[in-house]
Amino acid sequence: MSWINKGTTGLILKLSPLMLPYLVLFCGGVFLTVCQSAGIFTPLPHAGRALDAYGLILSDPSFFASFGFSLGVALISAAGSVIAGTFLAYRVWQLPAKLANAALVYKIPLILPHISVAFVVLIFWSQSGILASLAHQLGLIQAMHQFPNVLYSGWGLGMILAYTLKGTPFAMLLVMALLVRFDVRQIQTAAMLGASGLRIFFTIVMPRLAPALHSSFIILFLYSFGAFDIPFVLSESRPGMLSIHVYNLYFKHDLARRPEAMAILTIMFCFAVIFIIAYTKIVTRLENTVRKL
Amino acid sequence: MKHFSGISHITTLIILVLLFALPAGILVMVSLAPEWRYPEIWPAQFSFKGIWFLVENKRVILSSLAASFGFSLLTVLATLLMCLAPASVFARTCFIGKPLLEGLLLTPALVPPMTFAMGLHFVFIKLSVADTVSGVVLTLAMFSYPYMFRALVAGFQTMGDTYRTCAKNLGAGSAAIFWQVELPLLMPAVIAGGNVVFLVAFSEYFLVFLMGGGNVASFTGLLMPLLSSSNRSLAAVLTLIFLLLPIVLFVIMDLSLMRMYRKKGMV
Repeated sequence: MSWINKGTTGLILKLSPLMLPYLVLFCGGVFLTVCQSAGIFTPLPHAGRALDAYGLILSDPSFFASFGFSLGVALISAAGSVIAGTFLAYRVWQLPAKLANAALVYKIPLILPHISVAFVVLIFWSQSGILASLAHQLGLIQAMHQFPNVLYSGWGLGMILAYTLKGTPFAMLLVMALLVRFDVRQIQTAAMLGASGLRIFFTIVMPRLAPALHSSFIILFLYSFGAFDIPFVLSESRPGMLSIHVYNLYFKHDLARRPEAMAILTIMFCFAVIFIIAYTKIVTRLENTVRKL
Repeated sequence: MKHFSGISHITTLIILVLLFALPAGILVMVSLAPEWRYPEIWPAQFSFKGIWFLVENKRVILSSLAASFGFSLLTVLATLLMCLAPASVFARTCFIGKPLLEGLLLTPALVPPMTFAMGLHFVFIKLSVADTVSGVVLTLAMFSYPYMFRALVAGFQTMGDTYRTCAKNLGAGSAAIFWQVELPLLMPAVIAGGNVVFLVAFSEYFLVFLMGGGNVASFTGLLMPLLSSSNRSLAAVLTLIFLLLPIVLFVIMDLSLMRMYRKKGMV
């Protein structure tokens, strides 16, 4: 009898529609990115040694500036989205049935593409935008330049606003899916026993929502860390997001610099994988300690 | 509960409207008032220039809209074909390494899609798959399928094994079981997953630009240069179409699902 029995063959056959594209396109794609970062399969024959591209990148302070900047924008926007999304979802869940339908407006930014959300931020926050006009009408500013330069402050505030606007409804959606199954009587009991609203939220509701909070944080954080669309509309010149850095190296410089672009992508990929593993490990450990109580 | 009075509910709604509906309302105004400038808080005059632009350029707009719509639907179809059989395996059988494999299969939605797409790009050019619709669909399907996969696994789990066993006992073959029993019951999950995949594909700019290389028209590709142009009303009009089209599609899907269920007597 061979080590592959009939059941295993059937299993592999049934999984193959997904496993084949996964191995060929996803794993293959990542493999090719890593290869090209080492100068293999590049459009131009690579003259130097395999790890030259990494040496160039890691000796460039602007790479670390970009990396830190991307990390900061992603962290603030993901944390902001999850906090705002959880709070709003909790409030929407408590709405009486009559008003609950009106709350569906939260889905609007979910449908809008990222570039449109960036456009909305542009309309609202630019120095000639809606909020500047409002400030002028209220007598807070007399001229355009007095309105804070939010979009070009060098802190990535425009991108953070756009990612948060897009991410909050996403977190709401995931949190709401868990809240639907939540037993109201738990809250009522706690309230009868004299727990305050805050206490109820943090000790009863929050632990139940934890899975949705963690998955929305991971998804939003890694998306903002590596995505291109919003930075392309809203980015400031320096320090740019990593994705813009890669785009410039890939499309705007000559082919000899292709390995550098690929090396940045490889570093981004490794960071994403390490982040996912570390985050899930930490969460499981934390949850285990909580359960012991 | 006494500490959540009517006023606080109204406050919640006002916050939601200010955050999420006001932008859409402002977009409507921007599209109707091209000359709306600082420091006017309300446009001095409205005009239909933006709408006229739509009419004048309807060929370009409609063709890029149709292209986006087409490759997004193809992406939904591709993810469905990829995920159906594996999702039933994941929902019904236990095997060694299943949690690990599930985790691995979800990574394409998490890691930046650039990291594998740009590696593939060079090979796609060599194989002349780049600059074609199939190249775009393959790339989009590759990072959006986890949403379809999760939805289908959940769908198979809710459905359970009883329908299948019952149909088998009544003598149905595996094809009949799939087409007449399982697929209709699975439709809500397919539509839920399909909606997300459609939105991801429909609103993606960069990957379509990379893999389509200008050959594959897309709505985002049409919108992008207009976002930074001085005439904001054009971009606002197109953004509003972006908002309406998926909503229309989702409503149609929901209604036809209800009709199908009624026809089959499942409601």
